[in-house]
Amino acid sequence: MVKGALRIAAMNDAAARLGLTVGTALADARARHPALEVAPSDPAADQGLLEAIADWCDRYTPLAGIDAPAGVMLDVTGCTHLFGGEAALARDIVTRLAAQGLRARVGIADTPSCAWAVARYGVWADMPVIRGEPKGRSLTSKLAGTDSPSPLPGGERSRAQRAGEGGRTSTDGFEPPHPTPSVSTSPRRGEVEEATSAGSMYSGRAPASRNDEDRHVVIVPPGAMREALAPLPLAALRLDPETVAALADVGLNRIADVLDLPRATLAARFDASFLRRLDQALGREDEPITPKRPAPSYMAEQHFAEPIARERDVLGTIARLSIRLGYAMEARGEGARLIELALFRTDGKVHRLAVGAGAPVHEANRISRLFADRLAGLGEACDPGFGYDLVRLSAPVTERCAPVQTSLAADHGAADHAGELGHLVDRLGARFGLRRVTRLVPQDTHIPEFAVAAVPAHAHLACAASRLRGAAEVQAKAVPERDATEPATQDTLAPARPARLFARPERIEAIAEVPDGPPVRFRWRRVLHEVTAAEGPERIALEWWRDAAGSALTRDYFRIETRAGMRVWLYREGLYGRETDAPRWFLHGLFG
Amino acid sequence: MLHHADEILLALRRRVAAIEVQGAGRPAGRGLALGIGALDRMLGGGLALGALHEITPAAPSDFGAAVSFALALLARALAAEGAGESLSPAIRGRAVFLPPDPAAGQSLSPAIRGRAGSPPPPAAGQNQRNKFPLPRRDIHAGRAVLWIEPEAAEFEGGALYGPGLELLGLPLARVIGLRVAHERDGAWAMEEALRCRAIAAVVGEFAREKNTLDLTMLRRLALAAGEGGGLGLLLRHYACPLPSPAMTRSEIAAAPGARDAFGGLGRPAIVLSLVRNRRGPTGRWLLSWDCHERAFHSVPLSLDLAPAAAHGPPDAAPRVRTG
Repeated sequence: MVKGALRIAAMNDAAARLGLTVGTALADARARHPALEVAPSDPAADQGLLEAIADWCDRYTPLAGIDAPAGVMLDVTGCTHLFGGEAALARDIVTRLAAQGLRARVGIADTPSCAWAVARYGVWADMPVIRGEPKGRSLTSKLAGTDSPSPLPGGERSRAQRAGEGGRTSTDGFEPPHPTPSVSTSPRRGEVEEATSAGSMYSGRAPASRNDEDRHVVIVPPGAMREALAPLPLAALRLDPETVAALADVGLNRIADVLDLPRATLAARFDASFLRRLDQALGREDEPITPKRPAPSYMAEQHFAEPIARERDVLGTIARLSIRLGYAMEARGEGARLIELALFRTDGKVHRLAVGAGAPVHEANRISRLFADRLAGLGEACDPGFGYDLVRLSAPVTERCAPVQTSLAADHGAADHAGELGHLVDRLGARFGLRRVTRLVPQDTHIPEFAVAAVPAHAHLACAASRLRGAAEVQAKAVPERDATEPATQDTLAPARPARLFARPERIEAIAEVPDGPPVRFRWRRVLHEVTAAEGPERIALEWWRDAAGSALTRDYFRIETRAGMRVWLYREGLYGRETDAPRWFLHGLFG
Repeated sequence: MLHHADEILLALRRRVAAIEVQGAGRPAGRGLALGIGALDRMLGGGLALGALHEITPAAPSDFGAAVSFALALLARALAAEGAGESLSPAIRGRAVFLPPDPAAGQSLSPAIRGRAGSPPPPAAGQNQRNKFPLPRRDIHAGRAVLWIEPEAAEFEGGALYGPGLELLGLPLARVIGLRVAHERDGAWAMEEALRCRAIAAVVGEFAREKNTLDLTMLRRLALAAGEGGGLGLLLRHYACPLPSPAMTRSEIAAAPGARDAFGGLGRPAIVLSLVRNRRGPTGRWLLSWDCHERAFHSVPLSLDLAPAAAHGPPDAAPRVRTG
């Protein structure tokens, strides 16, 4: 709803050919073309798709950022040779996205701003421009001849989508079911990519010819940004509409018009952001891009011409990659605390699995074992679909890892035990979750339920291991305050405590002396037990200062032996007469 | 000369064969002694390391006793590792203030009394503290133990409670707990842990009455234990009559324990019924656990224990079960 009417937010090519424009009221559009097919717009789904595409773009470079509303910005500096050059990389993006039903436009330039501009407003040449011929591009040709939408000033939300014959249109407050991701740029050699959805997914559209792909790609040769930007409209500089309108009022419509104007004049008359945008586009000012996920320090990946789907193949690939990753980390004396596996499915979905390690790990067999356990623990949850065409192993969190001399002797030293134990804890954690592998650490409280805390053994081991290595900073991170291996209890006369404690004390019926005698007999789980010996009471008052309502009752604990020899820990809740008239009895734990 | 060389070769081959059978190249017959001569002799030198042992409570109400027996075995296994001094001050402090257990001094069975070199029971007195310097609580000093409990068992029998473990003589810093959602996960974890040489003992709790461990799984566990050389304890909540590759099977029942000097509860006592033993005869003993020495003691039978005595006095020649 904009201004009280449903309006068109985005449309496809067929609709654009009918002469509709974005912002037209839906009622007007329907009056002109009753056959319009309308779908409500869904910005959340658009955002979701955009994020999925950004994740997918991770395959080209680790530095992939989202450029809302419809673009992805990639830093391809130093990555292009892996794909056979910039033109091949861009073609690869267009082809793969087309296979997923998305139409992308790609711009590659020295600065993010310039790439952004040419991807949206640039005109694709018949052939990709070859580097070294900076002037050889006719950026103005072909504008009208393509079936892609002509650049629309002011925004990207109106990439037309080309659906079947019906001319699908979406309205404002409504958006296309296949939204319109676009754009990306990067600091130095940036690349802009823009995708418009092409018909319904997998609509059986004939594969685009090479020529077709090239028309969706604009590559600005290094240093030729001025020439590339000159013919573009000023809106390509990402200016706000008021500035564009103000510039148009004084007859400045194209970037070429302002390139040679005195800066002082421009700065005086227009918004300061205008000059900044211009400088960013021309590379006079740096513009950082924000990657969606931080770039890992170490990474190893493998592409597949034929997708792999069998678990055995995936595990084999992981084993090979972990050797490469391990070598890279070992060479710099580091080990990974967190290792991430990214499985890129052919249909664009990306599975990411992470395993943690209690101590820095760089041994290839350990890394691959961790992932084997993690995958086994997942079971069917990881659906390979039609297979993975890229597998990547990365180490986002690393730590210094001093080499340890291992002993050849049969009795292993403490260091060997520490390493093996740490690895076992990591593997159990990878399979069952790190929270399930615990170590019991005494706490500073007299409430029996809270007197011990189950701390993840993995953090605990890391702390102890770092002490072995003398790395104090890890310890500070792993365990917040006091050293968790030291007991917090200061008592010298430890009261008797059971070996097993029930998380919820079990209600029992007991017959006991009034007011505070031990029970004579009690019934637990429908069995009557005769008490032959009792120790107690041990009076434990709950923390009244935390109990505003005053409902916490004092507990009198008894250690009981029954006629059969069973020893249990019972308590009476409430002091007879003072706190309650009908105290209840509970069984809290089992002794040996 | 040639004859001599052949003999050496033959001896070497035998040793290699023995090593291969053993799996981890450990000498055969290593065991965790329980500290009671007659019982250890019957077990062939104690509970065999690198093997599986089953523990079940004789009745559901004996579950606590079965747990404490398993914990006592863990404490002994760790003590054998050289972690003897790493108990927390709380425990040693308890030794300071408690008077000596009368059961320890007056009613020792002949087997205990005749044991040479056994450490004396902790004497009362403040100088006790100085005799044992504060231990360095470094978990890397030795191996650790792993206790695997299924989540569902928590409602049935509670969860392991740290202060109680310390009171039984088990240093908390070397106990790792694992909670699994399914029992077959527990079996997997147990197998992996038994293979690990940094684990001295693994306790796998299996709470379901219906048997989730088939013979194949048990065999895998036994092989893994042989490979790693640790002690594998299967703590079943319900007795399982099916055959198993376990070295021993013990049924644990609670027994009325001794009283301390003030008439309170003294050392806990259990009745250990060895119902299956691959290395020797079976039998039945009444034991008490001393958490300071970390040793079992054989308790003389009193009139209260007449039912248990019906199966024979603890140190008498036990019945032999064949098969």
